[in-house]
Amino acid sequence: MYTKVILVKDTDLKREDKTREFYTRLLDYLREASLHEQIQVVRVADIGVYDQGLVVKVLPDKVTYINVQDTDVKKIVDAILSEGKVIEDLVFKPKAKQHRIVLRNCGKIDPESIDDYIASGGYLALKKVLGELGQLKLIDEIKLSGIRGRGGAGYPTWMKWNFAREMNSAEKFVICNADEGDPGAYMDRSVLEGDPHSVIEGLIIAAFAIGASKGYFYIRAEYPLAVERIEKAIKQAYDYGLLGSGILGSSFNLDIDIRLGAGAFVCGEETALISSIEGKRGTPHPRPPYPSVKGLWGKPTVINNVETLANIPVIIAKGGKWFAQIGTQTSKGTKVFAVTGKVKNSGLVEIAMGATLREIVMDICGGTLSGKPIKAVQTGGPSGGVIPEELLDTPVDYENLQKLGSIMGSGGMIVMDDDDCMVDIPKFYLGFCVEESCGKCAPCRIGGFQMLGYLKKISEGRGIPEDLGQLRRIAQAMQKASLCGLGQTASNPVLSTLKYFEDEYNEHILNKRCPAGKCSSLITYTIIEDKCKRCGICFNNCPVKAISGSKEEGYSIAQDKCIKCGQCFDVCKFKAINKK
Amino acid sequence: MNKLSPADLDKMSKAPSDKPKDWIKVGLSSCGIAAGADEVFNFFVEEVKKRNLQIEIKKCGCAGMCYAEPLVEVNVEGLPSVIYGSVNKDIATKILEKHVISKMLVNDYIFEVLI
Ligand SMILES: Cc1cc2nc3c(=O)[nH]c(=O)nc-3n(C[C@H](O)[C@H](O)[C@H](O)COP(=O)(O)O)c2cc1C
Ligand code: SF4
Ligand code: SF4
Ligand code: FES
Repeated sequence: MYTKVILVKDTDLKREDKTREFYTRLLDYLREASLHEQIQVVRVADIGVYDQGLVVKVLPDKVTYINVQDTDVKKIVDAILSEGKVIEDLVFKPKAKQHRIVLRNCGKIDPESIDDYIASGGYLALKKVLGELGQLKLIDEIKLSGIRGRGGAGYPTWMKWNFAREMNSAEKFVICNADEGDPGAYMDRSVLEGDPHSVIEGLIIAAFAIGASKGYFYIRAEYPLAVERIEKAIKQAYDYGLLGSGILGSSFNLDIDIRLGAGAFVCGEETALISSIEGKRGTPHPRPPYPSVKGLWGKPTVINNVETLANIPVIIAKGGKWFAQIGTQTSKGTKVFAVTGKVKNSGLVEIAMGATLREIVMDICGGTLSGKPIKAVQTGGPSGGVIPEELLDTPVDYENLQKLGSIMGSGGMIVMDDDDCMVDIPKFYLGFCVEESCGKCAPCRIGGFQMLGYLKKISEGRGIPEDLGQLRRIAQAMQKASLCGLGQTASNPVLSTLKYFEDEYNEHILNKRCPAGKCSSLITYTIIEDKCKRCGICFNNCPVKAISGSKEEGYSIAQDKCIKCGQCFDVCKFKAINKK
Repeated sequence: MNKLSPADLDKMSKAPSDKPKDWIKVGLSSCGIAAGADEVFNFFVEEVKKRNLQIEIKKCGCAGMCYAEPLVEVNVEGLPSVIYGSVNKDIATKILEKHVISKMLVNDYIFEVLI
C-alpha cells in the first residue's frame, strides 16, 4: 500500500511539456531507492499552479513545490520521508485562494437529498433563528455581518429586511430573484442546481425576519434543471416540516411557490419582477416606493438574490462577526464570479472580497488560454465596464469596481486579449440592452438605439471624431434620466472603453483600422504569394467562392465577393493569408 | 410525513458520518450534463453492479471547474481523494480498474485544484 503520492505537472507553457520526462526520472529514482512501493508518482492534468515550471504536489501532506529542477529529486524525496520537513526555497505559498462560503456544498453534497444537506449542518441556522434569536437579534446579526446584496446593486441586506419588518401589514412577501439574465453569468444557476436547500433556508430565514408567510422563487424558464431541483427541495422541506405551518414546532408558517420568468433581462429588475409575478407586463416602475414598503400586491416585500440568500445560513451559524472579518472595509464576505472568455480555466470562482482581479484571473484561473497577454477584464455584463490590464491589481469590492467605471454586478467576468476589439465589445453589450429594453422610458429606448448607431458607424469605418462626444453626451443622459437600472447602466460598457481605450476608437475613426482584427468592414484578407504553397484548402473552404485560381496558377481573393468570414485565414496551415 | 423537531435536526446533523465508505461522486449540473456526465454516471452504476464492487456512486452539483467537465471525485480508503476531469467511459473504466480495484491513482486526468 502506498503511503504517499507525488503528483507531477509541467506548468511552463513556453517549452515542450516535460511532465513525462520528470515523471520517469522520479520513478527511476524511487525504484533505485526501493521506495516505489511506498510512494506513487502520478502525472496530473492540472495541479492548481500555473507558469511555475515543473510542479510537484505531495499528498496527503498537500505540500506543493514549484520550479523544481532535476537535481531536486533527492531533496524532495528525503523531505517526504522525513515527515514534516519542508524545503523552504521550493515550497509554493499561494497568493490567492478561493474561499468557499456560497459554494460550500456545491460539488460536495447530493443536491437532491435533504438528508445530505442536513448532515452537513443544513437547517441548523433556521433552528437557531426560530429557537434562540427571534426577529430583532436575527436582523442585528445580519447587520453585524455587513452583507450587501449580491444581485448587483449591493444594498445592505439588513436594512431592506428591517424596513419590511417595521411595516405594519398583515401580509408580507419574500422573493428569491433567480432570473439571472446577464449574458455570461451562471453563478446562481449553479447554486440552485448544486445546493438548492441553502437558498431555501436563506429564504425561510428572510421570511421570518420580516414576518412574511408567503415566498416565491422567480426562476428563468431556461433553467429547467434548477427549477426541477428547487421543486424537489421545496417538497422535501415540506415533508420534514421545514415549510408549511408550525415550522420546526414553532408558530412560524411559510409557504413557498415557484414562478417562471420568460427570460427578459429587465424582469430581473425588482419592480418589473414584481409586476411579472402579479401577472402584468414585466416593466419597471419608479422607486420609491421601494418593494420593502410597497411591493408584491402592494404589500411589503423583500427581494433578494440567490447568492445573497445562500450566504444567510452560514452567517447565522458562524455569526455576523465571523463573516465581517472576511472582505474589505465596505464589502464583507465573498463573491462568486463566473470567469469566461480567453481564460485557461473558465468556471466558478469564489474569493474573499479584496482579492485582486489579477489574482482571480492569473493565479486561480491560470491566465489566458493562448498564453497571450490579457488586454482587459470585463465585469458586470451589460451593466458593467471594461477594466484594462494595468488596473488588474485593484482589490475587488463594490466601491473599487465602481470607481473604475465598472460594477460588481451579479458576477460575470470576461477575460479579453488582443483579439478582442474595444469597439466591438461595447457594441455587443449595448446591442443586448437595446434588444432587452422594455421601451417604457425614452432615454433608454431612444438613447440606447442612437448610441448603438454610432458604434455601428465607427465599426464600419464611417465614424468621425465628433461621434465620441456624442456617445458621451447620450450616455450621460441615459445614466441620469432612465427609469430603471437597465437604462441607467447600459452605457457603462461604452463609457469604460472610451475611458481606457479611446486610442482604439480613434484607430477605427481616423485610420479606418481595427487593431484587433474584429470589425469585419475594416479588414481585408489577401494571399501572400511567397508563403502560399498552393494547397488549395482556402479555395475549398471559402463559403462564397471569393477565392479563384488553381494549384498550378496559385490563388487570389476577389475583394468584392469576400464576406470576411475569416475561414481562409483559419484553415491555411502556412499562414499565407494576410489579415489587415 | 415525519415533521422534524429541533432535536431531530440536531440528531441528523450529528449522525456519525459513517465509517469512511468508498464512493465516487459525479457532478450532475447543467454544465456537467451538457458534457456527458449523466452517461458517465450511468456507466459507473452499471459497471459497479456488473463487477460487484463495494463502492457507492453518488450525485453532486457543479464544483465550478466548468472547463474540465464531466468531473468525478473518487474516494477510496487508503488513497487521497482526487478529482478526475473530462471523464468519458474509457477514463471511467480506468478509474474503476486502476483506482478502485488496484488502488493506484490514474495518470493524466487528475485536476488537483481543490480549494
Ligand atoms: C435590468 C436589471 C436586471 C436585473 N437582474 C437581476 C437578476 O437577474 N438577478 C438578481 O438577483 N438581481 C437582478 N437585478 C437587481 C434587482 O433589481 C435587485 O436589486 C436584487 O434582486 C436585490 O437582491 P439583493 O439585494 O440580494 O442583491 C437586476 C436589476 C436590473 C436593473
Ligand atoms: S491554404 Fe494557404 S497555402 Fe494553401 S492555397 Fe490557400 S493560401 Fe495558399
Ligand atoms: S474571408 Fe471568407 S469570404 Fe473572404 S475570402 Fe476568406 S473564406 Fe472567402
Ligand atoms: S426601459 Fe428600463 S430604463 Fe428605460
